[in-house]
Amino acid sequence: MTRPARHRLAWLGALPLLAKPITRTMPWLTLISGCLAGLAFLTIMARVADASHAQLSQGTVRLAFLPAVAALAFVLRAPFRPLTQATPVPAWVTPAGHLLLAAPVLVVTGGAYLRIMAHAGNHALAVYPLISQLAGWCAVAVAAAACFERSRYADLGGAIAAPVAFAAIALTWYLPVTAKFLVAPPATAERVAVAWYSVASAALLLTGAALRDRWHRYTRRRSMWRPDRPLEMQA
Amino acid sequence: MTRTVLGLARAEASLLVRSVLALAGLLAAGLVTWFGIHPVEPLWWHAAWQIGFGQLVLGLAVLVAAQLAAGRARRDGMAGLYASFPATAGIRTLGQLAGIAGAIPASLLLIGAAAVSVHLLGVVGTPSVTVLAGGLLLVIAAGAAGIAIGTRFPHPMAGVLGALALLLSSGTTHLVSGGGIWLVPWEGLQDDLGFLPGPLAGYPPAGAHGAELAGLAVLAGAAALAITVRSARARAGLATAGVLAVTLICLAGAVQLRPVPNLNRLVTDSANPASAQRCTTSSGVRYCLYPGFGSVLPSLEAAVHGVLARVPARLDRPLTVSQVGLTSLDATLTHGYPKRQVSRWNAELRRAPAIASPESAIYFPIWAWPAFGGPLADAHFNLALATADWAVRIPLVTIASSQSGQPSQPCVPVNQAREAIALWLAILAARPPAGELQAGVPAGNGFTAAVVDHKVIPTWSYPGQGAGQVDQIGFSPPQNTEAGYLLARAMTTLPEPKVARVLAAGWVTWLNWHTTDAQLAAALGIKMPGVPRPPLLGTGPIGNGPENPVCT
Repeated sequence: MTRPARHRLAWLGALPLLAKPITRTMPWLTLISGCLAGLAFLTIMARVADASHAQLSQGTVRLAFLPAVAALAFVLRAPFRPLTQATPVPAWVTPAGHLLLAAPVLVVTGGAYLRIMAHAGNHALAVYPLISQLAGWCAVAVAAAACFERSRYADLGGAIAAPVAFAAIALTWYLPVTAKFLVAPPATAERVAVAWYSVASAALLLTGAALRDRWHRYTRRRSMWRPDRPLEMQA
Repeated sequence: MTRTVLGLARAEASLLVRSVLALAGLLAAGLVTWFGIHPVEPLWWHAAWQIGFGQLVLGLAVLVAAQLAAGRARRDGMAGLYASFPATAGIRTLGQLAGIAGAIPASLLLIGAAAVSVHLLGVVGTPSVTVLAGGLLLVIAAGAAGIAIGTRFPHPMAGVLGALALLLSSGTTHLVSGGGIWLVPWEGLQDDLGFLPGPLAGYPPAGAHGAELAGLAVLAGAAALAITVRSARARAGLATAGVLAVTLICLAGAVQLRPVPNLNRLVTDSANPASAQRCTTSSGVRYCLYPGFGSVLPSLEAAVHGVLARVPARLDRPLTVSQVGLTSLDATLTHGYPKRQVSRWNAELRRAPAIASPESAIYFPIWAWPAFGGPLADAHFNLALATADWAVRIPLVTIASSQSGQPSQPCVPVNQAREAIALWLAILAARPPAGELQAGVPAGNGFTAAVVDHKVIPTWSYPGQGAGQVDQIGFSPPQNTEAGYLLARAMTTLPEPKVARVLAAGWVTWLNWHTTDAQLAAALGIKMPGVPRPPLLGTGPIGNGPENPVCT
C-alpha cells in the first residue's frame, strides 16, 4: 500500500506557523542600525547645509541611503540552509520572508529621507527618478547577497555583497556607457526611472533564481577532497 | 610574548595580503587613481594627492577586512575556545594590529603602479614623499580602525558601516569650507591642486595631515587594546597613549587650519605670468610655459606650425601661445586671510592677460591639457583651429559691450570664406579622424543652430571643442557654421597645391569678412555644398531672443 502523493504546494499550509520564527530570526538590529546610521548622517548634513545656506542635494540623500543598502545585503543570511533545505518547506521561504519584512522598513526610511530633503528646502527636482534609483540599488544589493549566499563565501555573504553592490553602483554611475541611461543628466528623468526599474526587475529575477538554487556548495577546497580515500583519512 | 605577537602578526598579515576584499580594494583603488589622474597632463603636486584618494579606497577594503579578522572569534561563537589559549585577548589584538603590515605591500604597489603610470604619461614636477607616505598612513589607520570596530562589534555590518563612515566623511567635503577640507581622512574633490602652475608649500598641509592620520591610527589601536586587555597598568598606559594621540590629532588639525603661506607669490605668478613663465620663440611664434612644462612644447609647436606652414603670407601680428594658471581664488586657498586682502588678490587675478585681454594670444589652461589619446588629438585640433582663426583674422573671442549687461554670445562667421579656410588649415594640420569631424554635424533629428540677424544658422562644433583645452577664459570662442565645415571638407578632397595656389592668389581678398563661401567655392571650381534644414523650420525670420553677432 502506498501513501497518497502530497500536493507540491502543501507547504503553503505551514506558512502561518512560519510567520513567527521568520519574524524572530529577521536581523532587525542590522537593518535598523543601517537605516538609522543613514538617517543620522542625513540629519547632520541637513544641519551643515542649513548652516552654510546651501540646499541638501539629492546626491546627499543617495549617499545617506548607502548604509541601508548595506544592511539589506545582510538580510538574506540563512545560517542553517543545509537543514532548512531538508524540510518540506522550500529553503527560500525564510530569506524571502525576511526580504518582505525589510521592504516596509526601507520604504519608511526612504520616506523619512525625502521628508528631510524637502524640509531642507530642496523642491527643485522630481523625486521619482531618485526613488527608482534607490529601489534599483536595493535590488542590486539583494541580488549580490543572494548570489554570494549560494557561494563558498556564504558566511561572509553580506560583508562581500555590500562592497560588490557599491562597486557595481559606482561603475554604472561613472561609466559613460551606462551613465547615459542611469544618471540624470545626461539621461532624462523618465529614462532614468525606466532604466532603474528595469535593473531592479532583472536583479529580483536573479535573486529569485539564486534563492531557489538547491545545489550545496562545499566550503572545503577541492584539493583536500579525495573521493578515492575514506572520509576518516581525509579529516 | 614578543614571539607570540610576531607569530600572530605574521599569520594575520598573511591572511590580509591574500584577502579577497583587500585585493578587490586594491583593484578598485587602482581604477579610482587612474580615473583621477589620466584625463589631463599629470602634475605631481596633484597626482600624489590623487594617489592618496586611491589609498582611501584601499583603506575602505582594509578596514572591512581587518574588522572581519578582529571579530572572527566572537562571530564564529569561538570566544570561549580562544579564551582557553595561552595567548590572551590583548596579545591577539596586538598581533592583529601588527598584522596590518599585510596591507602595506598593497599600498606600496598602488603607489608604485601609479608612479609608473604618471611617468609614462609625462608627469610634470617631482613627487612629494610626505604626501605619498600620508596615503600609506591612511591605509594603516583604516586597518587599525577596522580592528577597533571588530574587537567591539563582531557583526560584519559594523565594518561596512565603518567603511561607509570613512567614505562619507571624505565624500562630503563640499559642505565644509576653507581649510576644514584637510581635517577629513582624505579629501579628493574640493582642492585646487590641479589648477596650480607649480607646487605650493603648505597646500596640502601634508606633514600635519600625516601626523593627524598617525594619531588616528594610534588612537584606534589604543581603543582596540583597551577593549581586550585586563591589567590596570596596561589600561593606564593605553589611556596615556590615547590622550597623546588626541593631542597630536588636535595639534595637527590646528596646523592644517593655518593660512596657506606664499599665496602672494602664487597670485603674482598667475596674474603676471611673464614673471614666472619661460618663453621661447619658434617660427615666429612665442610659446610661454610655466617651469617644468617643457615636455608640452613639441606637441604645441607641431599643431601651430602645421597651420602656419600652409598660410601663404606671414602673420601681420605676432602670435603668442600661453599657459593659464589659477584664474580665481577659493576658500580652500584663502582661509585665514582678511577679506580685504582676498579682494585685492582677486582683483589682481582679473587683470591677468588671459582675462583682461583674451584676444591678445591663444591661451590654454593647465588644468585641461590632456596627456594622450583622443582628448590630446582634440586639443591639437582646437589649438590648430585657434591658430588658423588668428591667421585669417577671425576674432578669438567675442566681448560683450559693458552697457548690455548680457553674457557675450559667440560670434558666428556667417557665409565668410575665411571660416572655411581656417577649418581647412586646421584639418590639414591636425588630421583628426573623419568620423570625429563628421560627428559635429547634427544627424537624425538633431539640429544645432545659432540665430544671427533673425535668421537660423545651422552650426558645427568639433566634438572636443567643449573640453576647454584651448579656452579663452570666461569668453566665447567663435561658433563655426555647418556650411563653413562642409565647404572645408570639400576643400580637403582637392589637391592641396591647388587650394594653396587659389588662396595665395587672393589672400587679402579671402581675409576680408565680406568675401563669401560661394566666391571661394567658385574660385576652387567646386559646387557649394548644401546645408540641410529641418523640414519643420520655416525660412522666414524668427522672433525676439538672444542673437549671436557676426564675426567681423
